[in-house]
Amino acid sequence: MKKLLGITALLIFVIVVTAIRNPDFLNGYNLQNLVRWTALYGFISIGAAFVIVTGGIDLSIGSVVGLTGALLAILLTKYQWPVPVAIATVLLVSLVIGLAHGVLITKVGLQPFVVTLCGLLLYRGAARFITGDQSQGFGQQFEGLRKIAVSSLPVTPTFGIPVPSILLAIVATLAGLLLHKTVWGRHLLALGGNELAARFSGVRTDLIKIQAYAICAVMSGVSGILFSLDLNSIQPSGLGEFFELYAIAAAVLGGCTLRGGEGTIVGVLIGTALMRVLYNAINILGIPTHLEFAIIGAVILAGVVTDELVRRMANRRLG
Amino acid sequence: MKISKRTFLAGLPPVALGLAGCGKSGDSAATPASTASGSAATGKKKRFAYVTNGVDPFWNTASAGVRAAEKEFGIECQVLMPPKGLVDQQRMIESALARGVDGIAISPCDAANQVGFLNEVAGRVPVITHDSDAPMSKRLCFVGMDNYKAGRAAGKLVKEILPSGGKVMLFVGRMEQLNSQQRRQGIIDEILDRPTQTLEKLNQDPLGKELSGGKFVVLDTRTDGFDYPKAKANAEDAMSRYQDLACMIGLWAYNSPMCLEAAKAAGKAGKVRIVSFDEQEPTLRGIIDGHIHGTISQQPYYYGYDSVRILKDIAEGNRGVIPSNGFFEIPIVEVRQANVQEFWKKLKTLQAAGA
Repeated sequence: MKKLLGITALLIFVIVVTAIRNPDFLNGYNLQNLVRWTALYGFISIGAAFVIVTGGIDLSIGSVVGLTGALLAILLTKYQWPVPVAIATVLLVSLVIGLAHGVLITKVGLQPFVVTLCGLLLYRGAARFITGDQSQGFGQQFEGLRKIAVSSLPVTPTFGIPVPSILLAIVATLAGLLLHKTVWGRHLLALGGNELAARFSGVRTDLIKIQAYAICAVMSGVSGILFSLDLNSIQPSGLGEFFELYAIAAAVLGGCTLRGGEGTIVGVLIGTALMRVLYNAINILGIPTHLEFAIIGAVILAGVVTDELVRRMANRRLG
Repeated sequence: MKISKRTFLAGLPPVALGLAGCGKSGDSAATPASTASGSAATGKKKRFAYVTNGVDPFWNTASAGVRAAEKEFGIECQVLMPPKGLVDQQRMIESALARGVDGIAISPCDAANQVGFLNEVAGRVPVITHDSDAPMSKRLCFVGMDNYKAGRAAGKLVKEILPSGGKVMLFVGRMEQLNSQQRRQGIIDEILDRPTQTLEKLNQDPLGKELSGGKFVVLDTRTDGFDYPKAKANAEDAMSRYQDLACMIGLWAYNSPMCLEAAKAAGKAGKVRIVSFDEQEPTLRGIIDGHIHGTISQQPYYYGYDSVRILKDIAEGNRGVIPSNGFFEIPIVEVRQANVQEFWKKLKTLQAAGA
């Protein structure tokens, strides 16, 4: 948990500064929105973390979000499939994508960067092809289903717990247990730290890697479903664009190292929250939107540099 | 079993070729390349290209107009929608030139900085602009609406729904495009009761500055870079920051549907007023439901239809079709609850005619 001190401090700092400069930041409605966006982006960040822990990367996350979002809308509105069948199909497609990535990386020996970069293009193209590049939506139908993404459990008159955040809490708990409390999780971290050593120790590294990519793709599929239900308007050429970068940034901010072998689910959630709080703070403080990327880039860089310096100082003292 | 790299790669070309064969005829990627340098040389049908500035439902309606013109005039016209803005647009135009076309209609992504490129293209084939103009270039004419005038019309819709004034916020994808800038300025000038400006000498208010005048305050203009989740979050954040926000104005087609989704989730649908541009289905439904006050339609169908008609006439040597001031204006349509059903019916008929 010590590794998370820097990023947690940064998150608290941004929250406090924003709240002091504009107390409306803390109003129930805004907090509810923040929690909901954190949840929607949280799924892909957790997925990215599983892959990053292996020392790999998945650049296709955003395209899988776009493909699954568009596919769900088409299956439900155009082909009128029953909701459970449509959702199961979308998740199955995600699973197959993840398994394919894993097999290509482990059995064919291709670089994760190359495989998932091709995936980024392939799934975006597939989404545009199956929809004929037409925007998709649910119209006024499926209001009940859309509640999974847009409704909340009221706590106060202005604040409710968004349903996606409850789903994320369940998924994050399971992911945390899987990563930190099971043999499988130990093996995953071990192979990320030193794949050869792990393999010689009897760890089935290929199988575990394939499973990690499958988890990442399924998380992207879940996110695609939730984003499409939340927005009710899916642009096949645009939905999910750059999401892989948000996910990777959140995972790295949360303590995952791109070299593999390190990472916590709590850290990933904090990293995701920091990204969303920064975006929100820029709007709440009325900072011009064209400065958005510059500010977020600068704050994250400052956070990562401070974290690294603090860690080095601590190591020196221990040494 | 370990699959060898060679075995795997050997299987790729047939798969890739199979996929490539799946495109519909008329799609940008599906037309086979030709070495012909224009139909005039070969005596075939006249061929044109209609290039958009992105991929959006708005362009599907324009595309229906292109298809209708194709049928009516017996010509061929490729609709090219660059997915990634300027770079893709340039690549697609170059490919169209290489294939051989008799004229191109372009909606420039960045008019000011594309003048050189547009002039290069205009040196080879007749070029007209549509939707967004590049007046400094050698384009023959511009087909579209007066975005400043459309902005003022949207401003009038705001005044109509908020006779006692209030705080308004503007939402748009990007501010680099000339049409966004003109539209925004038109809205601001109208609701702040300022005199009408001309497009030639358009003074623009800086971004990020609160503006007030008359009964209204224009709080800000927020951009989202064509990112739908961001567009929705921008609307939510505006309602968080300004509890007394009276009206949200979506400058691009998807902006007001995203504002409406945010307002619905906040329980403010119909309370925070929304004024829109363009005719996306959720926008028209929002007007029927009384959640969106009205929208300014650019009639994109006629962007497509009239661009192709003008290009065909120019290619046949009839230059008289070019307006003397270089501007072929497509009139805007103000859509409110009173005429939305009729408008939607006509739109569906036009889209079906161009299908």
